Amino acid sequence: MASKKEFDIVWGMVIDLDKCTGCGACMVACQAENNVPVTKDATNKLRSLTWLLVYELSNGKPFPDHDVAYLPRPCQQCGNPACVPVCPATVTKKDEEGGIVSQVYPRCFGCRYCMASCPYHVRYFNWFDPVWPEGMEKTLSPDVSVRPRGVVEKCTFCHHRWMHAKDKARVEGRDPYALEQMEYQTACTEACPNGAIHFGDLKNPEHTVHELSKSKYAFRLLERLGMDPQIYYLSRREWVRRLGDNYLDDEKTGDFKVVGGHGHG
Amino acid sequence: MGIDRRDVIKFIVGGAVGSTLTPIPWKLTDDISIWTQNWPWIPTNIGGKNEYTPTVSKLCPSNSGMLLRTVSGRPVRPQGDPDSPLSGGKISSLAAAEAQMLYSPSRVRRPLRKTSDGTYKAVSWAEAEAILSEKLGNATGGVGVISGDENGSMNEVLSALAAGFGSDDCHFMPGSAQAEAVAYNQLMGGEGQPAYDFEKADYVLAIGADVLESWGPVVATRRAYADMRPHGEDPKSTWVYAGAFQTNTAAGADRFVAMRPGAQVALALGVANLLIKEGASATGLSGFASLAAQYTPEKVAEVAGVSPDALQEIAKGLASAQKPLVVVGAEGNEGGSTAAAIAGIACNMLLGSFKAVPYPRTVVQGAMGRGDMLAKDVASYVAGFKGGKAPEVLITYQANPVYALPGSIKTKEAFENVSFKVCFTTYLSETALASDLILPVPHSLEMVDDVATPYGYGKALYAVARPLVPTLVDAKHPGDFLLGLGAKLGKDLGFASYQKVLEAKARAMGANWADVSRGTVYVSDSQASTYGVRVDADAVAKAAAVVEVADLTLCPVMKLNFGTANCGIPPFNLNTIRGDELDSDYLYAHLNASTAKSKGVAQGDVVRISSAAGTVMAKVNIFEGVMDGVVAIPKNFGHTAFDEFTRGKGDNVSALFAVASEPGTQASVWTGQAVELKRA
Ligand code: SF4
Ligand code: SF4
Repeated sequence: MASKKEFDIVWGMVIDLDKCTGCGACMVACQAENNVPVTKDATNKLRSLTWLLVYELSNGKPFPDHDVAYLPRPCQQCGNPACVPVCPATVTKKDEEGGIVSQVYPRCFGCRYCMASCPYHVRYFNWFDPVWPEGMEKTLSPDVSVRPRGVVEKCTFCHHRWMHAKDKARVEGRDPYALEQMEYQTACTEACPNGAIHFGDLKNPEHTVHELSKSKYAFRLLERLGMDPQIYYLSRREWVRRLGDNYLDDEKTGDFKVVGGHGHG
Repeated sequence: MGIDRRDVIKFIVGGAVGSTLTPIPWKLTDDISIWTQNWPWIPTNIGGKNEYTPTVSKLCPSNSGMLLRTVSGRPVRPQGDPDSPLSGGKISSLAAAEAQMLYSPSRVRRPLRKTSDGTYKAVSWAEAEAILSEKLGNATGGVGVISGDENGSMNEVLSALAAGFGSDDCHFMPGSAQAEAVAYNQLMGGEGQPAYDFEKADYVLAIGADVLESWGPVVATRRAYADMRPHGEDPKSTWVYAGAFQTNTAAGADRFVAMRPGAQVALALGVANLLIKEGASATGLSGFASLAAQYTPEKVAEVAGVSPDALQEIAKGLASAQKPLVVVGAEGNEGGSTAAAIAGIACNMLLGSFKAVPYPRTVVQGAMGRGDMLAKDVASYVAGFKGGKAPEVLITYQANPVYALPGSIKTKEAFENVSFKVCFTTYLSETALASDLILPVPHSLEMVDDVATPYGYGKALYAVARPLVPTLVDAKHPGDFLLGLGAKLGKDLGFASYQKVLEAKARAMGANWADVSRGTVYVSDSQASTYGVRVDADAVAKAAAVVEVADLTLCPVMKLNFGTANCGIPPFNLNTIRGDELDSDYLYAHLNASTAKSKGVAQGDVVRISSAAGTVMAKVNIFEGVMDGVVAIPKNFGHTAFDEFTRGKGDNVSALFAVASEPGTQASVWTGQAVELKRA
């Protein structure tokens, strides 16, 4: 693995899957916050753009032993992102304090190598120019640029909100790199009525995500790939944790060595 | 001159170095990015001053408290309002799309009148007013009202106007509040609205009520749920969901207990039986104990399909909780059993957790109170249109009965018996297209309106929705319009404007207008007396006796992200609909594998599902979170009106609802619907 960049701040999420009920409020808030266009046939998930997608999980057992869970999936902001080294145009990088994997739209020429390499399918390609019903473009947020046809996009942890929070701290004469947890929150975290999503600096002991990410119920998706995601999930249910890593039926949870190490803590 | 090996290496190395240093590839990628990003229009970001103004959602049935973000006055999007008890800083999936709905392609842009050839012609507001006053002025055959807004003061204006024409035919569209209002106010001698204190509740049993997704002021309920479940700690509350389908509530609950659709009354009686056995008692329950005693765990298992162990566990959990709560509701939040509502209230009485809040006091002279309007049965009212009981003028207000009333009523045909239908609506719904006059209502962010004590909330509450952006279309405030029209027709309702009505309403609620009109939500501790409330055990017994087990039972499912009958599916919510919920144009009907096998169908098969009322077509999705012998079908699909984001997506499950009269309570019910399913 290429040399891994270390950061003093590592923005991350801890999503409690026992609390998520799959309502989709986070998805709608994300879409409105980030100027993601609408599609008429949005059930065609190959064509629709969903920076944050809520998956339905099943324990695979027949009724009445069936259990259901929902898993919101943003970009995992990997510590060892697969998307970065494959990008020929240096659109996507992991080099800024905070560890958010960037996506610089004007540089992207749409080769989609990053989409092929991302194991979490978080990246979306604009097959068409984005369209909003007439007039609806007036509701576009000034914080986020609109992406044209031919460009790949993905969740940015509402990067613009971090910039605003830093600016505010600067204006107030505070250290922009010592933000309180609530000063910078993503739109999905803010929206979730169940408080299922926690967001903060995984390295900062004063941010709740720091402790939560170390919970015995915490896990990450496809951890064995060694991507070192900055998104943690929590579940008291073992079947949910096992699904996070696609275990074989007879394999025990935790029977593996983490490759790539933890980029925080 | 020969070329030796060294030259070849030099050439290759030189070439490699050259291609790294040359700007050509970088120039090319840059060019490609420029050319691939050449597109006809690029909306440029319009910056400006940010403002966040508090208001309350009238689009979403959850009535989320919101802060509307505007940039130089331009609405961008609502976020949750941390200061609102209806939000706690959070928002529902539907309210999150409220600003975008200002620009919904299906907005009604100007008054429209139906012409003799069935097409619509734009008319001015003056013409519209003239037409309506003529029709109302001559309406010797009565005026009827159907409202789709359960907690706004527009109902007072509408019902007071109807009263001016000697009519009390003012109805709400079917919803969760009705069965309980009939139960509590008509049959139990109670006054006021049953209230549910989810805050600090340490044991919640939801019997069919989708309390974490679509029942009541759900964002507030979900805040209460979240508060008792801090991350990384053991939950301080237990939530149990009894239902036939693993809804979103089931996903958040600690325990999902399978219960057949429509068997709420049996389960509630079974719970009451065990509570009474454990020594619980309450006044007003004479005769109830002996009825409940018949609902032994074995009997409940037989009728409701609830396992005896689960029932024992629930009763134990409720009995040992500090603040237990039982909430009874219908699948899909409509057509629920009144007897079940009585049994649910009885459970809360036994647990000492029953409480009621006063209905908001009316301020417009002659207006009907909410309790009286809730007691009116819209299903039998509309069904009666065909039997010569149609009003001469029917006013529908933010309601879509043509789409949403049970299929057995055949509402569209029933409407043909009404000589003049006027539809006040923001969006071009099926009901608008079955009306003679369509009058655009401003969007909820464009007009002043209110939310008074929403059903399901634990306290009396008053919130004002404010006009935060100028009206984009040629719409008029329906309140102002009707108050003016009333005055012209000699039916002065005593208020010069709708805002004056709300000012009076705020006073009546005990709130300060200056505060609430600035977005502060008023909450009061006033409670309605529950003295003298009693259970009519006989009525419950009769209703419970007819709960039957069908070969296949329908379970309708409502999710806020699917939108509502009034607004269709918001474009911004389409992305949240999963591929196993809607397949371009087919809806998915969910069955478990064993039920599918018994019906001889498999994943993806197109099936025809029919009942005594009608038929819907769907594709099969095998989902093990559905009870044996049950088919679950989502609501709010199969629209024929609205826009390309809503129209033609799947089928309308309401077509399957056949209205029956519940023995003992005589209320209209349509849960626990028996259906047939065949491969198409
Ligand atoms: S989730 Fe995918 S897109 Fe996001 S950083 Fe990891 S590899 Fe890159
Ligand atoms: S808003 Fe919260 S509960 Fe709803 S889907 Fe997103 S994470 Fe889950």
